[in-house]
Amino acid sequence: MTSDVGAERQGAPPLVVLEHITKRFPGVLANDDVSLDLRPAEVHALIGENGAGKSTLMRVLYGMYPADKGRIVVRGQEVKIASPRDAIGLGIGMVHQHFVLVDPFTVTENIILGNEGQVVLDRQDAERKVRELAETYGFRVRPDAIVEDLSVGEEQRVEILKALFRGVEILILDEPTAVLTPRETQDLFGNLRKLQQAGKSIVFISHKLDEVMQIADRITVLRRGAVVGETTPANTTKAKLAEMMVGRPVLFRLDKPQVEMGEPVLKVRDLAGAGKLNGISLDVRAGEILGVAGVEGNGQRELAEALIGLRTPEEGEVTLDGTPITGWSVKDVRNAGVGYIPEDRHEQGLVLNMTLWENSLLGRHDDAEFSSRIGVLFIRKIKELAERLVKLFDVRTRSIDVNASTLSGGNQQKLILARELETDPKLLIAAQPTRGLDVGAIEFVWKQILDQKAAGRAVLLISAELDEIYALSDRIVTLYEGRITGEYPPDAAPEDVGVGMLGGATQEVAS
Amino acid sequence: MASGEVAPPVAAPRIRSEWIERFGGQMLALVASLAIALAIGSLLIVGYGESPITVYGAILRSSLGDLDGFGYVLAIATPLIFSALAVAVCFKAGLFNIGVEGQYLVAMVTAAWAAVTLDFLPGPVHVVVILVAAMLGGMIWAAIPGILKVKTGAHEVVTTIMLNGIAISLLAWAIRSPLKFTSGPTGQNVDIRTDNFPDSALIGDMGKMFGIGPGAHLSWLFPLGIAAAIVVWFLLRRTRLGYEARAVGTSQGSAKAGGISIGSTQLRLFLISGALAGLVGMQQILATTGYLGSNYVAQLGFTGIAVAFLGQNNPIGIVFAAILWGILSRGEVALQIKTQVPREFIIILQGILIMSVVITYQIAKRRLAARQLQRAGAAGALEDSAPTVEPEVATQGES
Repeated sequence: MTSDVGAERQGAPPLVVLEHITKRFPGVLANDDVSLDLRPAEVHALIGENGAGKSTLMRVLYGMYPADKGRIVVRGQEVKIASPRDAIGLGIGMVHQHFVLVDPFTVTENIILGNEGQVVLDRQDAERKVRELAETYGFRVRPDAIVEDLSVGEEQRVEILKALFRGVEILILDEPTAVLTPRETQDLFGNLRKLQQAGKSIVFISHKLDEVMQIADRITVLRRGAVVGETTPANTTKAKLAEMMVGRPVLFRLDKPQVEMGEPVLKVRDLAGAGKLNGISLDVRAGEILGVAGVEGNGQRELAEALIGLRTPEEGEVTLDGTPITGWSVKDVRNAGVGYIPEDRHEQGLVLNMTLWENSLLGRHDDAEFSSRIGVLFIRKIKELAERLVKLFDVRTRSIDVNASTLSGGNQQKLILARELETDPKLLIAAQPTRGLDVGAIEFVWKQILDQKAAGRAVLLISAELDEIYALSDRIVTLYEGRITGEYPPDAAPEDVGVGMLGGATQEVAS
Repeated sequence: MASGEVAPPVAAPRIRSEWIERFGGQMLALVASLAIALAIGSLLIVGYGESPITVYGAILRSSLGDLDGFGYVLAIATPLIFSALAVAVCFKAGLFNIGVEGQYLVAMVTAAWAAVTLDFLPGPVHVVVILVAAMLGGMIWAAIPGILKVKTGAHEVVTTIMLNGIAISLLAWAIRSPLKFTSGPTGQNVDIRTDNFPDSALIGDMGKMFGIGPGAHLSWLFPLGIAAAIVVWFLLRRTRLGYEARAVGTSQGSAKAGGISIGSTQLRLFLISGALAGLVGMQQILATTGYLGSNYVAQLGFTGIAVAFLGQNNPIGIVFAAILWGILSRGEVALQIKTQVPREFIIILQGILIMSVVITYQIAKRRLAARQLQRAGAAGALEDSAPTVEPEVATQGES
């Protein structure tokens, strides 16, 4: 953003050069002759779909994988990086998607871990150093806080500080915003700007295009392990980036089908308990998509689980087409006509160690169609169902006899969608349906949800992505600390919805 | 990979090749683990100053050298099949039933009661009633940890260990008072045991059909064990309950969200496990001794855990594992007579065998999974599951 930084960047020789890196895993060419350079004090975004080879490339630079071919030049000298320790020695640090912190330790203890210096620990001195470091770059985190009490965003700051404490000049961040709220993302970007002004270079791995356009100085796009292009935010658009990533044009706004809305299918009244709910009332009508927006951890998961029957609320009533279903078991709720896309597809959507055909049956194993009265499964029927689902939703797999764990994230989600929509549910509960998916898969999932609406069914969409809420919803409500704090029309200003997401009681009445 | 036009459209299913690959891989793993175990065993034998060929030869001759020997092997394997199946059924649903031991002890008591008191029943009916009584006894003893687990969350390992202790005392009490030996001539009833069971309660000798001597006590319970293995296989692979069990065993969250009741599934599996455990003791009281005495063969429940591991919790694998176990156990006697190697060598060899099987299978499984991934060409999935080398570990040393 700051032009002086930009000018300096143009002339400076590159800090790191990756030349013709090839990395092959058994059966997969993860990086195919990839070349990339990183200049001093720049934010270089590395984008691509899941499996495009972004993380692999950076793990090669960080010494976690040896490259099969190619060379790495740091500050003009060719280097061999055999381990993360070598990388840190060269001033290269990496923060992974999954943090590696010792929970019962304090922030300071975590940061100095492995770097304690003398035998006797000078705690106060260490804390002072950490505090200075945090203040320099504007990281808001208390050095004496215990890590297990921290939010995910704070833990991430500790991870970054840990790298900085080791004198890192080049910081690789692997999908850093995947775990952050929009607010925390902006905080992080503030920190990154400060780091940049201090001369640090940052590699920012992501597939969120809005963020890349905002933070990056340069953007390199990977597809199927190879570089398909390099550009800058000024010279490109989101749509162009998406097309480079996927290899075909991608629609970001799908047309919402015009549907005559019917009677309320789902009615929730004063639902409370179930962990975090604080008196929720809402209606979803036939042919309507109701978007529940909110910062994560405000009861989204609890709401979805209470509705499908995984949690029992203490108070309140839920009716489906007029039938009270409060406190029903999951099986009964499903049989009453509710489909469920869980926010965590590995924990609640699929049994990863079972085959695709077995996963196709989940939730319907009691149907007379698929097993006899005494409980013998009709394998052939089930396999037919699986073949149908896989074909209908274009699940990319070699066979229905392989385990669900072999599918990519997008294909796993497609399988879940196919299974849940196969029964024509009256109500679809979709919780964070596109989490972790890349743009191509997101488009597919959105389209399926809109098709539900077009078919006159009710959809309750729970999402932390405001983009998604706007792209799909007919009506938006905000969830904050287990309460509905606002209701908005689909064309409401994001700032207004933001107020509701933070608990502001702007009770606008939608038409 | 998610949705680009990278992958070819759904390929025609190649079920057979995959099945062959899986089967072939398992056979290979089995042969490899046997070879490893025998090789390590050879080192020990050489340490004793004996020749491995002599020692292994003695074991094999005594167990497979003649029909009688093989009859003994199968008779030893019979209770182990039931015991290992009982363990495996629970294991599939992620439950660790250590209580097979106690369950079969209680079942021997209920079976002995049925054998002694229901002596008016005609031959085959009496046997069936006794077997049912045994299964019920095992089920009752298995229901307790099952209910405790479902209702209170008490861990089954803890509760079943406790119940094992109670079962030992229960059996001791039963053969001292309610089922005590009464009918023999005076002066002979010094043993602490039940009356001899009537002939109608005994399971017929199967060995003589094949020319195996009566000393082996090979009974119809052996084919019943094989039948049980097939039933368990069918139950796990082809029924709703088996499906639910496997789902619960690998992902409770997904199973729950799919409408499967975890508690009901676990309880039903405990009951099935208990019924199988109930049959463990039948070989000894209905085929070998004809009464229940204080000198009963214990530890079969624990050995079942080992056999289940050896058979990789696969019902068919368990049958072979139990026979293999029988071969080694049968060899114990031969070792003492024919070699200088102490009989404990067999126990060590059994231990080594289990370890090498568990390790080779784990490696084979990983290989297979990697190959599946590879063929799926799912670079994305690979990247997700690639081991994340913790950078922490690598930076520990520097200061």
